Amino acid sequence: MSSEPIERRVSYLGDRLKGCRCLICGKEYFEIRDYCGSCGRKSFGKMANIDLFYDKGVLEVCTLVNEPTNKFTKLGSYVYGIVSFHNGKIRVPCRLTDRMIRQGEEIDFSAFEGREVVPRFRRRYSVDRSDIIPTISLAFTFADEYYPHQEYAVVKPNKEYDAPGIVGYGVYTSKFRIKEGNITRSVPFVDEDAITAAVEAGKLALIHSGVDSALVGKVYVGSESNPYAVKPIASKVAQVLKLGEEDEGVQGVDAVDTEFACKAATSMFKDAASLVNYPKANIQYSMVIGADNSQAAPRDCPGGELDLFVGFGGCAYIFGKTDLIAEIEGWYSCTSDTPDFWRRDGEPFPMHGGRFTGDPAYFKHIRKAAKKLMERLGLKPSDINYFVAHQPNVQFPVRIAKELGFKEEQYLPSLQVANFGNTYSGSSPVGLAAVLDIAKPEERILIVSYGSGAGSDAYSLITTSQIIEKRNRQKMPVAYQAQNPFLEYVDYTTYRRLKLGM
Amino acid sequence: MPNRPAIVAVGRTKFGEHYEKEPEKLIEEAWLRASEDAGIERKDLEACYLSDYFLPITNKLGLEEGFLSELTELHVPMEVTRSFSSALSNACNAIQAGRYNIVLVGGIEKMTDRWDKIRDDLMLLEDPWSYYAGCTPEANHELMLRAYIRKYGVKGEDLEKLDIALAQVSVKNHLHATKNEYAQYQRKITVEQVLNARKEARKPLGLYDFAPISDGASALILTSDDVAKKFTEKPVHVLGFASATDYLTFPARQDLTRFTVSEIAMKNALKRAGINLWEIQVLEVYDQSTVMEMISLEDLGFCKRGGAWKSIYQSCQDYRGYYEIDGRRLFVNLNGGLKADGNPLGATGGAQIFEVVKQLKGEAGERQVMIDGTPKYGCVLELEGFGTKGYVYILGGTSS
Repeated sequence: MSSEPIERRVSYLGDRLKGCRCLICGKEYFEIRDYCGSCGRKSFGKMANIDLFYDKGVLEVCTLVNEPTNKFTKLGSYVYGIVSFHNGKIRVPCRLTDRMIRQGEEIDFSAFEGREVVPRFRRRYSVDRSDIIPTISLAFTFADEYYPHQEYAVVKPNKEYDAPGIVGYGVYTSKFRIKEGNITRSVPFVDEDAITAAVEAGKLALIHSGVDSALVGKVYVGSESNPYAVKPIASKVAQVLKLGEEDEGVQGVDAVDTEFACKAATSMFKDAASLVNYPKANIQYSMVIGADNSQAAPRDCPGGELDLFVGFGGCAYIFGKTDLIAEIEGWYSCTSDTPDFWRRDGEPFPMHGGRFTGDPAYFKHIRKAAKKLMERLGLKPSDINYFVAHQPNVQFPVRIAKELGFKEEQYLPSLQVANFGNTYSGSSPVGLAAVLDIAKPEERILIVSYGSGAGSDAYSLITTSQIIEKRNRQKMPVAYQAQNPFLEYVDYTTYRRLKLGM
Repeated sequence: MPNRPAIVAVGRTKFGEHYEKEPEKLIEEAWLRASEDAGIERKDLEACYLSDYFLPITNKLGLEEGFLSELTELHVPMEVTRSFSSALSNACNAIQAGRYNIVLVGGIEKMTDRWDKIRDDLMLLEDPWSYYAGCTPEANHELMLRAYIRKYGVKGEDLEKLDIALAQVSVKNHLHATKNEYAQYQRKITVEQVLNARKEARKPLGLYDFAPISDGASALILTSDDVAKKFTEKPVHVLGFASATDYLTFPARQDLTRFTVSEIAMKNALKRAGINLWEIQVLEVYDQSTVMEMISLEDLGFCKRGGAWKSIYQSCQDYRGYYEIDGRRLFVNLNGGLKADGNPLGATGGAQIFEVVKQLKGEAGERQVMIDGTPKYGCVLELEGFGTKGYVYILGGTSS
């Protein structure tokens, strides 16, 4: 049983690590206070809100927890300690996350103490299936490992564009992988899910874009693995990332979840772009996130074939009309009622139509969308520098790319399924991100998503000169996450356990 | 201190697992022992001050006073607070103010009735933000030790000695408990056992460093000085008492290597009692962990900051029943401490007081300490939470 008001209050402070600073004496507090304990009444109204969400701290002391309290048992053993920020002005309790303690592993605490850590947004602990999912950012990872500390600096835009396009983007996959044959797939840590991945991706997109989060007027989160049947991921994203102007605990942003299997995010690209282009909307930026802890039944169960391909991750794009890295040239979408993959309400895992998912589903729709868009824009395959397709496996995107007349140098850079698995709503967006990571100015990218059920969205994008200057703002590009010395490979049993989560 | 309250009788149950007994049965047992001790009748009581840390959670009991009213068929004022020391504070204040002449102070806890959820409850009550981050009731003690080691730069051979010193605290307390018929664990343990348990846990502290989960009750009869003589020839007086409060969130405190509450409470209690620190011969500290006993020796002023482990280590090389600190003797946790006597939160302070009272009266049996006769002054430190509240009592025997 959960207490909704307590959950709201703990999350409101804990997700963002909200604190405050006394403008008189400089004392800082974790938690929001109306006045400073030291200065008393005279500090009323002189407390500045701060938060530690984009900050880094130092792990002061730590120990091992191997007999957690009941709600933490699914985390097994973990390192727990105290983190200080701002030279000890604020100290908070800390659980080190993304670290699996092996049976019998000896931890040298002194080797951990004194190291820099970054707060991570995660599930707090286990609750009943019917309860509100508790989250918190009192989970940390070392800044010199997989997830580096990145400052979030708002950059004043200096160039206006006629057409809307992409202002920035972020890709997030966890550091855990399972490798089977030629395919490596990202695996969430046990305290991660589609919600935490969506927040992480959005955070990285804000960092990359330099966009003031208060100016984001709408956020769409596409996912098919929202742990809630009813309750949006987007509301959590809006609250944690402070999208839109904050006023009395409410964010001035429209937030909505979308669902259309693996095209839930790409479908909204055009809506997000149109919105920032519509003068009366008065929205400068909009954000689209595709995030999934891609679901699959265990291998020996019906639908278990998917278990060989599913990944985990999130990808976020910010659309606007200033400081673009890529302009949208055009789009085309198509839909037919083709039930090739589905998940009934209340069922934990999706089912799929086997051979039916190929020709009448994936290929038919991607072919149609790609051809129609190229036809409308008068493009030949040779006019396009990069081709990005939805990637449920390695074979499908390669086959359709070849069929449409693309060469390896056009489609291979986007092919990320062998690095991360099928990240469902994040699949083709991650492919696009991998291309944006390396594209030069004035290059054309064709992305065609596919969502079972079924439909495809095709977009033609042309990169701008600003793509280069923004590139160094992101320390976590796709290649960094694909080939990283801190990746941790897990076996099948561990993968299933982690994926199942808390 | 004017109008010194007098403890005329003490009583307690054995600490441990009392599966078969309801909480009210335990307090009844403790109260009957105390009343027999002094020949007090229930109708003599003018008020009752009870303590339990979380009976409303462990046993879904509210209005605990009502149970006591049913047991005693009394309708006098009764109040419940969280720790025995807080109940005793209120009782002392009332006696000193002249409001009552005879009151009952009782403490009770029934932790094993909620065995499966007790650690979550304890942690959430003690420090919610730390709980949300994954803390356990043990982890804060270990972090305090890590902070201590880092602050004082203890390493190499010294670190080994510190580790052994902490193990010796536990060994010593278990040894003391072998002579305490009320203790939860009346058996000896070895330094190796303590060290091995830590090794097995792969942590700075292990199973034998921590006080157990316990059921139990304790009680005492507190009277005004004048009335005391009616009941006993050897009342023990509360010479001074004080308490202090600190943040709930341990990481947010200024200094992670001390309990500020103990320091402040001790200073004020000594001042009120009008005695010097080293006149205290018998000391009961709140050793929820071995680290707490070490830190408390420093907080209370008996050892220098960063130096308590050395005194413990040296004293325990050839343990003679007391710590030798700068050539002076200090008898610590003669009942076995929380570690071996048990730690039924709301009743724990009562057992600490019980021990000092027995020692000052010369009624501690096999455990009795003699220093040119029975000891004159004793001191009790009780904490609530992880050092969120601290209470110090300085007690004096008839010779004081």
